[in-house]
Amino acid sequence: MSPANAQCDRSLVQRYLDRQLSPDAEAALESHLDRCDSCRRVLDDSAAEGSWWNEASQFLPVDEWDGTASQTYIEAVSSCGENVPVQDGASIVRRLSPWLDATDDPRMLGRFGGYEIAGVIGEGGMGVVLKGHEPALNRYVAIKLLAPHLAGNGAARQRFSREAQAAAAVLHENVIAIHRVDQSQGLPYLVMPFIGGESLQKRIDQEGPLPLTAILRIARQIAAGLAAAHAQGLVHRDVKPANILLERGVDRVTLTDFGLARTVDDATLTRSGVIAGTPQYMSPEQARGDAVDGRSDLFSLGSVMYAMGTGRAPFRAETPFGILRRITDDEPRPIREINPDVPDWLDGIVHRLHAKAPANRFQTPDEVATLLEQCLAHVQQPTIVPLPPAAKFAAPLAVPPAGSRRRADTSNTRLQKIRSAWLAVAAVTIVTAISVMNWPNQSARNSETSPAAHPTATTATENSAEVWNDGVGGKMREIGSALQRIDEDLNSDLLQEIE
Amino acid sequence: MPELPDTRESLLLKVGEPANAEAWQEFTAIYRPAVYRLARKRGLQDADAEDLAQRVLIVVSQKISEWRLTSPQGAFRGWLIAIARNAIINALTRGTRGAGIGGSSILARLEGQPDRDAENDGPEIDEEFRRGIFRQAAEQIRPEFQEATWLAFWLTAVEGLAVDETARRLAKNEGSIYASRSRIMRRLKEKILELS
Repeated sequence: MSPANAQCDRSLVQRYLDRQLSPDAEAALESHLDRCDSCRRVLDDSAAEGSWWNEASQFLPVDEWDGTASQTYIEAVSSCGENVPVQDGASIVRRLSPWLDATDDPRMLGRFGGYEIAGVIGEGGMGVVLKGHEPALNRYVAIKLLAPHLAGNGAARQRFSREAQAAAAVLHENVIAIHRVDQSQGLPYLVMPFIGGESLQKRIDQEGPLPLTAILRIARQIAAGLAAAHAQGLVHRDVKPANILLERGVDRVTLTDFGLARTVDDATLTRSGVIAGTPQYMSPEQARGDAVDGRSDLFSLGSVMYAMGTGRAPFRAETPFGILRRITDDEPRPIREINPDVPDWLDGIVHRLHAKAPANRFQTPDEVATLLEQCLAHVQQPTIVPLPPAAKFAAPLAVPPAGSRRRADTSNTRLQKIRSAWLAVAAVTIVTAISVMNWPNQSARNSETSPAAHPTATTATENSAEVWNDGVGGKMREIGSALQRIDEDLNSDLLQEIE
Repeated sequence: MPELPDTRESLLLKVGEPANAEAWQEFTAIYRPAVYRLARKRGLQDADAEDLAQRVLIVVSQKISEWRLTSPQGAFRGWLIAIARNAIINALTRGTRGAGIGGSSILARLEGQPDRDAENDGPEIDEEFRRGIFRQAAEQIRPEFQEATWLAFWLTAVEGLAVDETARRLAKNEGSIYASRSRIMRRLKEKILELS
């Protein structure tokens, strides 16, 4: 027998299981176990008799009879840690096995929805992406399945299908095509072309900041893809480097996952009220849970450009909540401070895309695509093509001194718009009062240095009321209370939208 | 927007007694998947198996009102299991004899299955119940352990991966794989005895 027997002490094994050993003694026992077969057996038996081990191996594995009713179990025991790279394709397939049919092709893992499954491309918060083969057309496809635990949620399932169908209507070279939207055994899925490339996220992780021309080329194509989608009334909602596929270098960019972020929102909010995944590329209006339009995607595009320029996301914090706060309240460090190779005007464009209020951003992706195209031409032939004026205009007039960076533009455009309309009505009757009334609003906003997350509608009204009490008559008070009513209506509208 | 609470929750409310409510929740976590699997083994598709599991739980929940508060503490679970077992056997055998009882797709599908002697289902039902307890125990203790510790157990004891291969994948030495998995096994046994 091995010399290790000399050190065998069965009481140590028992004390180890009872957690009575010091860390040093535990480490010593572990290295003893490395060599000593008999102590391994003693340990196994002390933990539980052989029948328990047998039952564990019989009952715990997920098998073909498992399905939706076993989902909580499967999720709980599946490894989901990010540090251990064991969540390989095989275990994903095993988890999905209840939904896969047997295949005759020994090279394939199974069949799903008429496709031969050749492998696993990836897994995200929303589901798994499988690599499939379509025998009839002899082509490879990417099949995105809504995660089984989300598929159990009716709202998520409907949203998935609806948004996927909307995305299927967008035909553009920079937007992923959707061949088919369907479901199989209660699991909705969509079928896309298989793109053998890498995501922008991977590129940034591997290479760090990208060259200026690559930034401009990629950003222009993202903007062009967004323009096509917005023209169909579809907002992406989840523009981020992981959703941007690069084919053959940077020659062609494909935007994926249109509108699907909402599927996850529906399901996760219903389940836990917690945001799934990282919100690093969200817009302030998304972060607040407000209604969003296409301009939200433009903010995210700004964040993607920032990540390409610096190698990291603009708004970072320890927790998702911390990230949301930074998105609504903070200005990121200019790209140039991190990467001096980037010209001022690129910072200017990103700064403009990053305006907290959608009204202060570029208004359409078309506008951005055109601008970036012109910038690219300028970079490639600086002596022949001048920098487009819009890029100069976008540049910040002065670099804000360090320390004053935490500036928050918290104006609410809708509120402003409606209030201005009322002010205009009031102007007809009491012209002179206008400046009195409007002034406190402006000064209240301008002097606001604290990074409050929400527009201070009521504060503004109160400030105005103070001025009115300074001796302007009852007519003004009437208008004031009308304004307040509008504020209240508006706030309750916003609340309804959030709900 | 949150949807209506699922039946499990509404059933739970009917149970009323806080102690029993907890028992009921644990009960459904264990036995709902068990019934589901029994149904799948008989060829039912996902949705139909869910349906059957739901129906069995409804039968059980209706019987709960018959539970006497004077019964000894802790007997509730045993009583529930007996009811569930009957409900499953009834659902499955009624299904095989079929005609005219509701005509749901479950029954229709079950008609196509070979006739089974109800008594033969007993051991299989017990096995699925046992599986349910093992899994519920595993689910409950999982958060008590680190990822790597859990994987040492899962890969070797459950998935049957060789210890040396597991050690290589997790970048641990073999001794630590043995140590980790034994701790989980001990805790699992403890939890199973508590749930049984």
